[in-house]
Amino acid sequence: MESLKLKKITALWIVTVITLFIVAIVLGLLMRLNQAEVISEEPLTFYSNMTTHGLMMIGIWFVAGMVAVNYLLQRYVNTSYAVSVFAFVFTVIGVVMLWVSTFIGKFSTGWTFLYPLPFKDIGASSWATPLFLLSLTVLGVGWLVWSVAMMAQIFRKYSLSQAFAWQHLFKKNPTVETPPFILITTITLVGVIASLIAAVIVIILYFAEYFSIGGFVNDALLMKNLIYFFGHTIANEMLYLGVAVIYEIFAEASGRPKWKTTWYVSLAWNTALIFILTAFFHHLYMDFVQPQGLQIVGQLASYLASLPSAAVTVFSIIVAVYKVKTNWSIVNLLFFLGVAGWVIGGMGAIIDATISNNIVLHNTLWVPAHFHTYNVMGNVLFSFAFFYWFSTQNINKLIMSNLTRVTLAVLIIGGIGFLMAFYIGGANSIPRRYSVYPAGLASAPYLAKIGFTFAILYLAAILVFFFNISKRCFAILSTPSSPA
Amino acid sequence: MEHHSMLLLFIILAVFLAIVFVTVFVSSIKVSDENHGLKNTLRKRFWFSLVLTIVLGILTAVTLPKSPYFIFAKETPSKVIHVAALQFSFFMTEKEIDPKQPVGESIVIPLNQVVEFRVTSFDVNHGFAIYGPDMKLITQTQAMPGYVNSLRHKFTVPGEYRVLCLEFCGMGHQGMQTTFKVN
Repeated sequence: MESLKLKKITALWIVTVITLFIVAIVLGLLMRLNQAEVISEEPLTFYSNMTTHGLMMIGIWFVAGMVAVNYLLQRYVNTSYAVSVFAFVFTVIGVVMLWVSTFIGKFSTGWTFLYPLPFKDIGASSWATPLFLLSLTVLGVGWLVWSVAMMAQIFRKYSLSQAFAWQHLFKKNPTVETPPFILITTITLVGVIASLIAAVIVIILYFAEYFSIGGFVNDALLMKNLIYFFGHTIANEMLYLGVAVIYEIFAEASGRPKWKTTWYVSLAWNTALIFILTAFFHHLYMDFVQPQGLQIVGQLASYLASLPSAAVTVFSIIVAVYKVKTNWSIVNLLFFLGVAGWVIGGMGAIIDATISNNIVLHNTLWVPAHFHTYNVMGNVLFSFAFFYWFSTQNINKLIMSNLTRVTLAVLIIGGIGFLMAFYIGGANSIPRRYSVYPAGLASAPYLAKIGFTFAILYLAAILVFFFNISKRCFAILSTPSSPA
Repeated sequence: MEHHSMLLLFIILAVFLAIVFVTVFVSSIKVSDENHGLKNTLRKRFWFSLVLTIVLGILTAVTLPKSPYFIFAKETPSKVIHVAALQFSFFMTEKEIDPKQPVGESIVIPLNQVVEFRVTSFDVNHGFAIYGPDMKLITQTQAMPGYVNSLRHKFTVPGEYRVLCLEFCGMGHQGMQTTFKVN
């Protein structure tokens, strides 16, 4: 059974994650309000807030997935409490350093910090760039140690081939069964570790140039490839961490037998890893100097990544529910809704990942449209499902009240309205990452206003979730360590 | 695809998927306890995967040849325009651009002829996105320091075109633009 110490650190993580989420949403709201010309921020303030918003959202939902996987992993292998605390401390320190570099130092390159922008005049204090890079170093070290520690624990119990469930590919009933949760966690951690190593290389290259004072100069194309390998992969893997949790909890929360690994589950996840690690090339479609073979790999991998997800995970969720009497609670309902959001966001992604479409969609609002879809209406819901499940510890207590139904309705309406403002903006060629819009893009401020209004509804629903979950988490945190 | 065709396609797919998920959800409430769901799921999964693979294969075959790297690749451009981006302006000229003293000129592009933009940057990454007279994005490439991206296009509508920067490049990014004429 999961120890009280593990429960407490998990509860602490959850309260921290949701609090940071609300802060990051507020930053996003301010951005949309400025684009709507309702408020007037200095461009520097807008872009430093944009940088904070982007990095926080990636970080928050990555650690949320890691927290859930770390907690559930305890069912199969021993995970280290000390490493979880270490990762928490490094995350908090890293976030504070990031805030100082952006809020005070006005570091404002966007989350992509594309080379060589951080070294140019961005209106920031001179110390902001090294502090920003140091904040990423702290976050990267904390998360890399956490990921490697989890992976090491898996490999202490399972051999390499068992962790990847290769024995399921060739035998119908292998002597050792790999639980789907272990398979997906292993696959996902490989991607996470690879992306974090890429981040470490990027930071080393940045510091090498920073300290060489002109003696060493980086290559812009190589840096862009490395940055997108890191950013795209970690943003995808945070979703797959959520999927691992679905495999572990969805059936349980619906009162069904646990899902088992089969040959096609093993095949799907092993091939998914290849596509997840190569799809990032689609971020460089508009860099025509990139070898054409890699551009084609980008489109193929982006398309093929949808196959195992749709044919195995999504199909399995549908089969588990279709014409089967299901006891719906907030937990399995949020998972189910999240899968729908993930698939619909995937459609927006496929359209954008088609090179001939990307030429008119690249860096328009279509991009935040699709990734917000599978975050706001996908991954976030996976994590909240886990938060509810964890904080209640007893699924039968989670009765669908009228307040829950109304909250979910507000969440869906808010989410759809907020996202559609982005999609329509993308189709209207409105650029992303503009503090204000140039004359000629008349619909842009109106869409920003609509997006803001619906985002307020979404935030209202999140606040209800926050209240429900955090009061239970605080109860766990205040549980005496040694029972009387 | 046209801009609004993509939006329409997305909305159709999103509504279709929403209907699928709602139908599945409703089926789990209205069904009797004896019903145990779909039979022969492996076979259904196989057919679903096959159809999806075929659809993705067709999409790939149809769309890849339309990629910007291949269109106009065999034609000789009637005009070459050199473009240099620098925080927060574009320099466009028919002559080579000196990085130390970049100078631009007003550009007029012939209608219905293939032209080539050779785009680079003298500082950070920028975008070179061409908006038509109706302010719809028609084509783009990136301006990257140390590299030259060659973008070919044939303009079929006369008028004033605007170039916007679509890669975030600093606090003046939102105002970085220029214009040229097509006639």
